[in-house]
Amino acid sequence: MIRRVVLTAFVLIVGALAPALLAAAADPAAVINNLGNRALEVLGKNATPAQRVARFHQLFREDFDVPGIARFVLGRYWKTATPEQQEEFTKLFEDYIALVYSSQLSAYSGETLRVTGSRADPEGAIVASEIIRPTGSPPVKVDWHLADQNGIYKIRDVAVDGISMAVTQRSEFASVIQRNGGQVQGLIAMLREKTANTTPR
Amino acid sequence: MNLRAMRLVFTNLLLIFAAVLSACATQPNNLEPGAAAEEEFNDPLEDTNRAIFDFNQVVDRNVLVPVAKAYRTVLPDSVRDSLRDFLRNLRAPLIFANDALQGEFERAGQTFARFTLNSTIGLAGFVDVAGRWGELPYHEDDLGLTFAVWGVPEGPYLVVPILGPSTPRDLSGQVAEGFGDPFNRLVTGNPYTLYWIPFVRGGVAGIDQRSRYIETLADIERTSLDYYATIRSLYRQRRAALIRHEKEQNLPPPASFSLNDTPALPTSPARQAAMVVEVPTVSGVSR
Repeated sequence: MIRRVVLTAFVLIVGALAPALLAAAADPAAVINNLGNRALEVLGKNATPAQRVARFHQLFREDFDVPGIARFVLGRYWKTATPEQQEEFTKLFEDYIALVYSSQLSAYSGETLRVTGSRADPEGAIVASEIIRPTGSPPVKVDWHLADQNGIYKIRDVAVDGISMAVTQRSEFASVIQRNGGQVQGLIAMLREKTANTTPR
Repeated sequence: MNLRAMRLVFTNLLLIFAAVLSACATQPNNLEPGAAAEEEFNDPLEDTNRAIFDFNQVVDRNVLVPVAKAYRTVLPDSVRDSLRDFLRNLRAPLIFANDALQGEFERAGQTFARFTLNSTIGLAGFVDVAGRWGELPYHEDDLGLTFAVWGVPEGPYLVVPILGPSTPRDLSGQVAEGFGDPFNRLVTGNPYTLYWIPFVRGGVAGIDQRSRYIETLADIERTSLDYYATIRSLYRQRRAALIRHEKEQNLPPPASFSLNDTPALPTSPARQAAMVVEVPTVSGVSR
């Protein structure tokens, strides 16, 4: 009896861990191939704006290094922020990113992602891909920067046609903070206002 | 080109280069917190730039976007693509010259082949036969990029009325190209002197480009906290990507995504020289 319980527990645990173990073993190109096509599918024109935001939240949390990105985009102001501000900023940033990118992706319909190459990087890996458009217009080049966190790849940055989303965001946030007298609180207030009052498209 | 126009170009270039040089000379080298911040954006004329940016936004909202929307509604996709291909083909001699000036002879050869094929079989460029069936895709190139490859520094960020985001390096390239363009010279020189043609050409190119980014830019503006700062960053990064492309085909260097708090934006003059470019944007009357 006891043996059976132990055995069942063992099977259950292994079963629960298997996907994570497989993901860890997967190569970064496969991670992106999977994620990219899943994202294009669930975030495109067929979803309602509310669905798109909710799904984006989920993808962002599961596949992106949210704490790392939040820290990066705040740049040198991360250190000047109090722990409470850091926490609030990270939460608002996630809402903000979901708002921005679910809007940007709403125009997508029928696009597919194709991984074109990958290379190792001191922090993990960089995967190059193309988004192929059904209209026949030239593909969009998208590079994914992944961090290897104990064998699991998390996305740190996405560069579209050579434009880094993280760098763009950091530049904008730095400008907002500087125009608010160097106060992180000013940025937090604007993020709160923006995420509360902008309807996703 | 007549002598007066030549002199005008020359004077303009001199003024622009003087501006570049003085901007480089006055760049702060001390990295106090405040100074570092200014240098990060390299936008010493920010107040003026923001005022011009606001003006451009008014023009964009009230003129460019409505015209671009009408253009997109009236003309089918295929016609607009043809028109764009025709305008791109007109630029081919300049693209060829820039490819060659950068020592990119393979690209220059591609441009030459494209021009030959498209101008003949492609019915004066209205059909991009080379890109569609000849595996010779179009690529951008301009004098601003050539200057960058030669090591001319980017200079401070500029917002030009109507033309939008630029830098002294890109603006001087654009002005010189406007005058040096073989087709512009042909139609404005003897015996035609059709001075309006370059303006119509530029206007149509701008409207066509704007029509392709209506929703994208509207979304960015709607969701951004500081649209000006976002466009500034997009412009610089896009130009940097175009410059980098000359050396690396794929996989640009990572944006030094380390968790330390030093900004990864290049601040050394050398890297800065590599940071610049064209974004199809706001009042995108560019090339």
